[in-house]
Parts: sequence; C-alpha cells; structure tokens
Amino acid sequence: MNRPVLQIENARAYYIVENNYVRAIDDISIVIREGEVVGIVGESGSGKTTLSNVMLMNIKRPLSLIDGKVKLYSNGNVIELNKLSREELQKNIWGKETSIIPQSAMNALMPTKKIKDSILDVMKTHFEEIHEKEIIEKVQARFEEVGISKDVIFRYPFELSGGMKQRAVIAIATLLNPRFLIADEPTSALDVSTQKMVLKTIQDLREKEIVKSIAFITHDIATVRQIAETLVVMYAGKIVEISSIEDIIKEPLHPYTRGLLFSVVTPEPEVKKRGIYYIPGTPPNLMYPPPGCRFHPRCEYKLDICDKEEPKLKDVNGRKVACFLY
Amino acid sequence: MKSYALKPFLKYISRKFIFLLVTYFIAITIVFILPRAIPGNPLSTLLRQIFQQGQANPELIRSVHKTLMEEFGLGKPWYEQYIDFVTRAFRGDFGTSISSYPKKTLELIIPVMPWTLMLLIPSIITAWIIGNTLGAIAGYKRGSFTDRFTLNFSLIVSQIPYYWLGMLLIFTLSVKLHIFPGQGGYSQGTIPTFTLKFILDMLYHYILPFLSIVISALGGWAIGTRVLVIYELDADYVNFGELLGLKEKTVFRYIFRNSILPQVTGLALSLGGALGGALITEIIFNYPGTGYLLFRALSTLDYPLIQGIFIILIGSIYLANFFVDFLYALIDPRIRLGQSEGS
Amino acid sequence: MWLAMFKPLFKSKKFLISILIFIFIVLLGLVGPILYPVDPTSYAGPFERPPSREFPLGTDTYGGDLLAKVLNGTKTSLYIGFLTAVISMSIGIIIGPISAIKGGVVDEILMSFTNIVLTIPNILLAILIATYLKVRSAEVIAFLLGALGWPWFARAVRSQLLSLINREYVKLSRMAGYNDLRLAFEDLIPGIATYAFMSFILFINGGILGEAGLSLIGLGPTKGVSLGLVLQWAVLMEAVRRGIWWWFVPPGVIIVALTSSLLMITTAMDEVFNPRLREK
Repeated sequence: MNRPVLQIENARAYYIVENNYVRAIDDISIVIREGEVVGIVGESGSGKTTLSNVMLMNIKRPLSLIDGKVKLYSNGNVIELNKLSREELQKNIWGKETSIIPQSAMNALMPTKKIKDSILDVMKTHFEEIHEKEIIEKVQARFEEVGISKDVIFRYPFELSGGMKQRAVIAIATLLNPRFLIADEPTSALDVSTQKMVLKTIQDLREKEIVKSIAFITHDIATVRQIAETLVVMYAGKIVEISSIEDIIKEPLHPYTRGLLFSVVTPEPEVKKRGIYYIPGTPPNLMYPPPGCRFHPRCEYKLDICDKEEPKLKDVNGRKVACFLY
Repeated sequence: MKSYALKPFLKYISRKFIFLLVTYFIAITIVFILPRAIPGNPLSTLLRQIFQQGQANPELIRSVHKTLMEEFGLGKPWYEQYIDFVTRAFRGDFGTSISSYPKKTLELIIPVMPWTLMLLIPSIITAWIIGNTLGAIAGYKRGSFTDRFTLNFSLIVSQIPYYWLGMLLIFTLSVKLHIFPGQGGYSQGTIPTFTLKFILDMLYHYILPFLSIVISALGGWAIGTRVLVIYELDADYVNFGELLGLKEKTVFRYIFRNSILPQVTGLALSLGGALGGALITEIIFNYPGTGYLLFRALSTLDYPLIQGIFIILIGSIYLANFFVDFLYALIDPRIRLGQSEGS
Repeated sequence: MWLAMFKPLFKSKKFLISILIFIFIVLLGLVGPILYPVDPTSYAGPFERPPSREFPLGTDTYGGDLLAKVLNGTKTSLYIGFLTAVISMSIGIIIGPISAIKGGVVDEILMSFTNIVLTIPNILLAILIATYLKVRSAEVIAFLLGALGWPWFARAVRSQLLSLINREYVKLSRMAGYNDLRLAFEDLIPGIATYAFMSFILFINGGILGEAGLSLIGLGPTKGVSLGLVLQWAVLMEAVRRGIWWWFVPPGVIIVALTSSLLMITTAMDEVFNPRLREK
C-alpha cells in the first residue's frame, strides 16, 4: 500500500448554534494515500463540505473542531494541522501543501483584479521575494497545460466563459504542486460537455503528478465513478461505507449506499435493470440525530439493535461498512 | 487602454452624460414653471409690492420694475418666456438681483461659491474615507466589540443633522472653551488676501464647520460599508483566496476594494443631500458661502437670486455627479470593459 | 402569523431599547401637551430664563415656555414625519409594483421618471418650492418632503418584486389567471412587507429631518411650533453664541433620539429577518 498523504483520526466537528451542537462531522477517520483519488459521496447535508473544511483545517466560527487529529505527511514529516494556527496554515500549508477546487468556480476569482494580479498576490504570501516575469512564465505554462490560452491571465474573471473560468481556477489551485487536492463538486454547475473536459483536466493533474492525491467530493456517484478508485460514503456526519468503486457498484453493502446507487438519475448499466428507486424520508436534523444508527429511521432492513447501539465501521471481506447486518 | 476596451466605457459615460443633461434641463424647467404655476403667481405679487413701495425712491424702483418685467417676461406668452429663460440660463445669465440691484445674480454667486466648495468637497471626501474604513473594519470583525461599538456609534451619529452638531460644537468648543472661533470664514476686520497669516486664520475658522460635516456624514457611510463587507465576507473568492494561503491583510484589501466600489456611486447620489446640509451649516456658522447668500436671498424674497443659486447649485451637483461616475467607470473594470448584464 | 413572525424581535436588546425610547418620545409628543397645558405661543414668562421649577426647560427671548414649545413641537414633527412617510410610501408602493408587474415600456417610463426625481437633489427642490409658498402648513411641508422622497423605495420595491415574480408560486398564480391587482396583493406585496415597514420608518426619519432643515433655512411651517422652528428661532436669536443652551439642546436631542431610535429599530429588524446579517 502507498504511503499516506492525509489522515484524519476520530474527527468531530460541530457547528455551534445558539448553545446547541450541529454534529456535522461525528467521529470520522480517513486515510488518503499517495496516488489515490478518493470519492466522497453523500446527499446535501451529509457533512461532506464540512469534511473538506476539516481536511484543510479551515475551521471558522460557528464550526469548531471538538476532537480528533488531522495529519499531513510531507516529505517524511508528519504535520498535525489541527495544532497549527490559522496564520501558520495560511503561510505554510494552504496553497502550497494542500489546495482546493471550490464548489462555485464561477465566483471564485477576485472579480475586480486581473487574474495575473490575483496570482501574484498568492505568490507574495508564500515567498519572500518573487520574480514577476518568471512566475508569469510558469503560470502561463500551467494554463496551457490545463488547456486554456496563456493570455487568459491578462484578463478579468468576468471576461471568461464558465468552462474557462473553471479551468483557470484549477490551474491557479495547483500552481505550487500541492500534495493534496480537494475537488468540491467541481462539475455540478457546468453543462455536460464542459463537465467531461473538467474531469479530464483533474485526471491529468494526477497523471502528470502535479498533485499526489485528490479527494473528490460529490453527491453524484455517476461522476465520481469516472475518476475515483476508492469511495467513501457519508450519511448524517458519519462514514457508513468505504470501499473500492468496483465493489460498491457490484455489491453495495450498506443499505444507504444501496439506496444512493439505485437512485442515481442516470443509472449505470448494472444498476439500470433494477429500476428507478429513491430513499424514503429525509436526512436527520444533526442537532438532534437519531439514537443508534443514524440511518435507521429510513432503513428498510432495520433490526432491533439499530436504534439502540451505534454501529462501528468494521472489516467485511476487505471492505469497511458500519452496519449491523454484517 | 486597449481599443477593444474603449467602447463599453464610452457607452456608459455617454449614457450618464445624456441622462444628466436631460435631468438638468428638467430641473431648469421646474425652476421656470414653479413661480408661474403657484396660485397668485408670486412673481407678479412681488412686482406689485415693489411698485407700491415706489414712494421712497421712485427712480430706482421704476428701473428695478422695468428690469424684472423684461427678465421674467411677464405679459409675454409662456413659451416665449420659457425659451428666453432657458437660453439665458445656458448663457449663465440668471437675471438681476433685487436686493443688491443692479448686480447680476451671477456676480453675487461667483464670489461665494469657492467657500461652499472648499467646505463641502474636502469634508464629504474625508467623511467618505473615514466612514468607509470604519465600516469595513467593523464588518470584517463582525460581532466583535469593535463592530458593535462602531455600528451603534454610526447609527446615532448618522442621525445628527450637520447643523445641530455645528451648534453643539460652537457652544462647547467656542463659547465655553474658547478653543475655536464660532463664526465666519475669517476674522472680522481682515480682508481676504493671499498671505500666510490670512490662510492660517481661514483654516482656524474652517475647523468647526468642517468637523460638523465630517462627523455627521461619516456614520451613514460606515453603516452602508459594514453591510456590504458582511455580504462580501461570504463571497466565493474570499474562501478560495484564503485556502490558497492569501494573507489576511490581502483578503481584507480585496473585500475593501469590492465593497467600496458601490459606495463610489453612492457618493454621487449623496451629493445633493450633503449640499443641502452644508448650506444650513453655513447659516449656523455665518460662513460666507452660498448657503448664507441663499439665506439672505430668501429673507428678502430676492427671487432672481434664489433661482440663480438653484440653477448653479443643481448644475454643479450634476457636474460632480458626472465626474464621480466617470471615476467609477475608470476604477471598476466590470463597467470599463462592459460586463454582460446579470452576471 | 404576524405575532409569531415578530416574536424573535423581542429577544433583541437593541430592538427593545430603541422601541422604548421611541415610545417615550411619542408619549412626550402626544400626552405631554395634555399634561403640561401651557400655550406654546404665548409670551407668558420672563425672558431667556434658564430651566427652573417654574419653567422646566427655561424660556426664550420672547418669554415663551420652551418645554411647552418642545412638547408641542415634538407632536408636530412626529405628525410631519408620519404624513411624509404615508405619502412617500403610497407613491412608491404604486410605482414600484406597476413597474415590476407590467414591465416593458411602462417599466421604462416609470423608471426613467423615478431616476430623474432621484437625481434632482430633493432638499434643494423642496427649498425652492417652499420659497414660493406664502402659507406653509405642516401638511404642506409633509407633502413636499413626501412627494420628493420616494424614488429609492420605488426602485428597491421594483427590484425585489422582479426577483419574486420569477418564483414558482407566482408563475402558478399567473397561469391560474390572477389579474395584476390580485397578483400584487396576494402574492407579491406580502413578500416585501417587512422591507416596506422598515422603509416606512426611514421615511418618517426623512420627514422629521427634512422639516428641521427647511425650518432652519426659514422655510418651515408658517404657523404652529415644530422642533425645527424652535431651532430656527434659536439660531436667529443667536442662542448658541450667547450660551442659551436650553433653547437649542433639547429640540436637537429629541430629533436625534427619535430618528436614531427609529433607525436602530430597522437595523434590529434587519438583523433578525436577514440571516446574512445575523451575528454569528
């Protein structure tokens, strides 16, 4: 097995709202290894975007990391991100070791500056001295690598089309060859043909070893299937299943994964014959999550134990699932 | 500027220009119509009064009456009066003053205008800068003590009329503590000259009226910018920038820049109100500006002078308006290069 | 439904304090003249006397009782503020929705008109009009200020309605054959009710401050007393430079307390009803 790049151990991250906790991330552990693309799927409200913030330790009020560790493995050193201050993260980690392709690339660039100037600002935070000419040449090379004209950097964001903007964002996010990249629903706002192009660009990033590993966050299994090897399924702030993509498509273990897979709008051929399906009910209010397994109120295989005890993530034939059925 | 960039800019600027020109024309028309539309036509009432007072100095009164009859064109059909009025207005001829006969109104206005401009422009720009900076800091530190303090302070201060603050300042700093002079644009008995002594004296008299405008105007800007910054804090480019490692200082600069842009056009729109407030402040301070002249014109019912002051003030506001819009188009690339609508 | 909606407001300390101040001043204006029935226009007392037991706020140059003047002036100023708000609101609430619902040429004409009125400096225009009016009652002042103050509100209403109109339920009503009037009153106006309410408050402020401004220039109401008129006489009689603070301080304090409490009420409402401004 490859060396780990990012590891989360027993993380709990809660939103504090009027003296109440919203348990958005509740006891989650994940290892992301070198060369790996990990898909993180779940409905909206499952905590996947919160998880991306925890991975980067971008913890801002009202979110708070209650417990757990976030470790980044960098050239043989282990950096505990949860022990760093925001300033240290900003100076040494973000943009350099880790990066993100944000959910809404449409407005992700400073609207009233030329792209070149935004990039130079980023460089100025990471390096004491910068050589503008050199940087611009490098940046232009990267822009061409992701498939957009190098002149784009002299434009303002509003002068670009959606697909161009998305790829400019990808190029900017990966300028310093970060070890670990999060892609947070990078395709959800795009039309289908642009989606394909952007997915291809993200794939290239790993193949050219611009980034070591990627966490690809989405609600759409069909998209993630094209790019990830491993799938992490989240439900109501918990991981319910971790498995390779093939295994999950072939045989989803957790009832929630099964529901998610069956309810895909554009079904995979393997899934198609089972007909269209949806999961009854809605995700729980995370301020007052149900006792025991958080999925039990919506689960058709519910056992007596399910509303009394919390299932732990356990090994089943080399896969991991949190369910009392196994 | 590259040539492809010039077109949207020119389009924006010429649209603004035409709009302001049309509005100015309408304003002049209103000035023309008002006295003639109000029942009992105050102009003819005024003429009759002047005529009846004719015993004191028949010669003078007769000539005042003659000038006014000509200038207002009473007796002629309304459209002739109107064309006459507009052509005169565009030539800068606003008629003859009654109270300072036979001076032309323009002759009376020109020497006082600099005082008003000198008071108004630096003070509203200072208020704009301080207010926006305070508001931006408060918004950036939303929920903190600094924020709550700035907000409540600004809310109250923004409701203090310039002139009443002026009265308080005169009473405390001048009458009670004798720190600053409480009235006038310069010491009584001195003659305006270009000497250091006079300029220092002028600045000394300038401080209180300047402060009363700055303090009461900055609250409104602070409140507005604070809200704009709070909205901007959640913007996607802020989150992305932070996660690329941008320094807090740089992020603040971005937010500040984008929140301040709409406030530039806000400045243009606020000029009218600010001018109104400044005129009254001048009255309170016996400051030798347009406000004081207007006050005198109003108390002697010198209609030609009142009209002249109005046409010039509204014209200057539109000029300033246009200048600010021009500036705005220069600094906001989205206007300059023409962002498509709705995005 | 309204009660439930406004309930969270009463948890806001800012809201409670400001509404208490506001109510106090309203009571001053409404009940004050009854409890202190001195004729504000009579020349009863000694001249320019500082506050005493006999004259709680002292007297002016003509021996007028300043407490009586301030109490009655508060009443007039509130009345002018309220009337101004009613007038501005009525114009805005007609022009904004018509513009938004009708669209097209109607929208363009109404909006150009609105922009022109917005760009003409309204305090200057009010001064100009007031100049030609020999008799200016409180109503005339309110009408003047109200008729010039509405444009920003009409514009805001229009743009808010435009975003509402594109929502699903409004489209459904259109398909169900609602006419414009029914559409406006059933689907649209309720959607901007809080905004309109807050604007109404700001219009009151505009009326109160506008009256004071006009009065100071010498163009206030020609009869009765208002806070602005008290200030004007204080200025004319050089009260400030002669140190007669009891003449110009109380009316100013009331104006500032009144308008800033109203403004605080709107910001408190904004914080409660506008989630993005809520303190996190």
